[in-house]
Amino acid sequence: MITKRFSLQYIFAFSLTIFSIYLVFFLNPEGAPRIVLNLFTFAGIYGLSAIGLNVHFGWTGLLNFGHASFMGVGAYVTLLLMPHAAGREGVVITTGLPFFAALTIGIIAASLFGLLLGLPAIRLRGDYLAIVTIAAAEIFRLLVRDLESITGGVYGIINYTENFQRYRPSFIDDLSDNLDFSASQGWVCIAAWISILFIVLFLKRLNNSPWGRALRAVREDEDAVRAMGKNAVWLKLQSFMLGAGIAGLSGVLLAFNYGSLESTVFIPLLTFYVWAIMILGGVGTITGPIFGSIIFWVIISETDRLAYILFENANGQQLAGVRFLLVGVLIMFLMIFRPNGLLGKKEELLLDVK
Amino acid sequence: MLNNLISVKNLKKSFGGIKAVDVQELSFIEGELTSIIGPNGAGKTTFFDLISGFQNADSGDVFLKANNISNSQPYKIARMGMVRTFQLTKVFDRMTVMENLLFSGSNVNNDSFLRSIFKLNSQKVYEKSLKDKANEIMNNLNIGHMADSYARELSGGQKKLLELARAIINDPEILLLDEPLAGVNPKLAEDILSLIKKLSEDGITVIMVEHNIEAVMKISERIVVLAEGSLIADGSPSEIRTNNNVIEAYLGKSDE
Repeated sequence: MITKRFSLQYIFAFSLTIFSIYLVFFLNPEGAPRIVLNLFTFAGIYGLSAIGLNVHFGWTGLLNFGHASFMGVGAYVTLLLMPHAAGREGVVITTGLPFFAALTIGIIAASLFGLLLGLPAIRLRGDYLAIVTIAAAEIFRLLVRDLESITGGVYGIINYTENFQRYRPSFIDDLSDNLDFSASQGWVCIAAWISILFIVLFLKRLNNSPWGRALRAVREDEDAVRAMGKNAVWLKLQSFMLGAGIAGLSGVLLAFNYGSLESTVFIPLLTFYVWAIMILGGVGTITGPIFGSIIFWVIISETDRLAYILFENANGQQLAGVRFLLVGVLIMFLMIFRPNGLLGKKEELLLDVK
Repeated sequence: MLNNLISVKNLKKSFGGIKAVDVQELSFIEGELTSIIGPNGAGKTTFFDLISGFQNADSGDVFLKANNISNSQPYKIARMGMVRTFQLTKVFDRMTVMENLLFSGSNVNNDSFLRSIFKLNSQKVYEKSLKDKANEIMNNLNIGHMADSYARELSGGQKKLLELARAIINDPEILLLDEPLAGVNPKLAEDILSLIKKLSEDGITVIMVEHNIEAVMKISERIVVLAEGSLIADGSPSEIRTNNNVIEAYLGKSDE
């Protein structure tokens, strides 16, 4: 019975996703491949980040509002270890590690940052943890902004994409010539979705394991976990590290998608987008955020087209206002009709935090 | 010679100006079924929190066998074989009854991240034996038919049973039960009482806080009475029944 309802949920999520993509083609008679690619790249990167957040919140019940900083640590550490140019003057640094070595260190750095942030914060519960994480994320962002000699500050880092694009398979270039999209973004998109595939398989394995079960027990009641002889703090730290590592990977992909990286990328809004995606997709699920992400980005990117159609002679400013109003209304509708997200189970509705 | 399993010396805890627990000396003997009673606010639950590590004492020591466990982490105390339940049941609501038991019974190695990634065969074997054990306990407690339900779908009494099941799946030496009969219907209370008695007969040292005096008198081998944090009486049920201090604490002093 449960599996039947479950597959219905999948069918619903799939149809809604396909409908959303169809809508993109419908609303953009010209240049659709470019727009769809852009959409899927962002959806993949943000979806990956939301999968990491789900380890924190959905599995372990940790109210993490500093997710952007984990993405940021991953991105900055990886980029700074590779050849790049940074700052106002564009100082060129030609020495550095190859991409995969830098990426590995970047992901580990993000995990360790999760551990570092977790050590003092993890004994806090619920909203207190939320306050600490959002503050830590802001401190990270401001530090990156002020350490201009290393991170390039507000001028950012440039000239690093080649480190990754040199691995681009040639079929992407052929396709991009035919379909008129950016080949480098195509490669980032593919990398993002391959990452999602691997992370989902990895988490599926963990979810049904004693470790995943222990995290869920922490989510339900920490005191009871302690009373059963389990070290709840260590379990929470492990969860923090795993989710932060996944976020770090998505941060690196985000940096390669933008082509230049400034501290302003990691403002709290990024965290809230990821939260919205996770809740839309289904808190506590593994694949939910993927669907949530695609639908979220269709809503974000196509509402201005919709606003444009609705109001023929509106100017840009007016459209922007209507657009975010539409975003709010659409997300509200989704949450009213599916409060547990696209794939979430009603019995595990997870939005009440202790 | 009788064996002191837990002993408490000069244990003190205050909240603001209010003295919650102030016990000079108290020992619990291996295998004995002891009840702690006392009026509301007597410090019974705080006393449990202190010996199980959920609160730190202001001063004083708690010994489990020869080990000083004052200010130890709760999970470490639990691993030494002293498992507690809570006054307000703390089941894992959004996990199934089976998962509740598997988590509680699983040892720390089995829970480890690396083992869970590699999913070794030994883990599968261990989980299988755990499952059999969980099934056996659930059937004994008549919650076997609820194995695949979410714990939050259970009735209040069933949750008490689940908490009890979770506490005994680890084969504890000492069981601290905080009001195991609270909010339970009389029939189920009977069942829980006979279960507690059976656990005691099987050799588990049971210490229980309970308000149901009738039940306490019926099954306890020894009763400890707390009032305003201090020990006012300690003895067999028949001694306690006639103890003047106890009668005063419960009914108030007479004017004469």
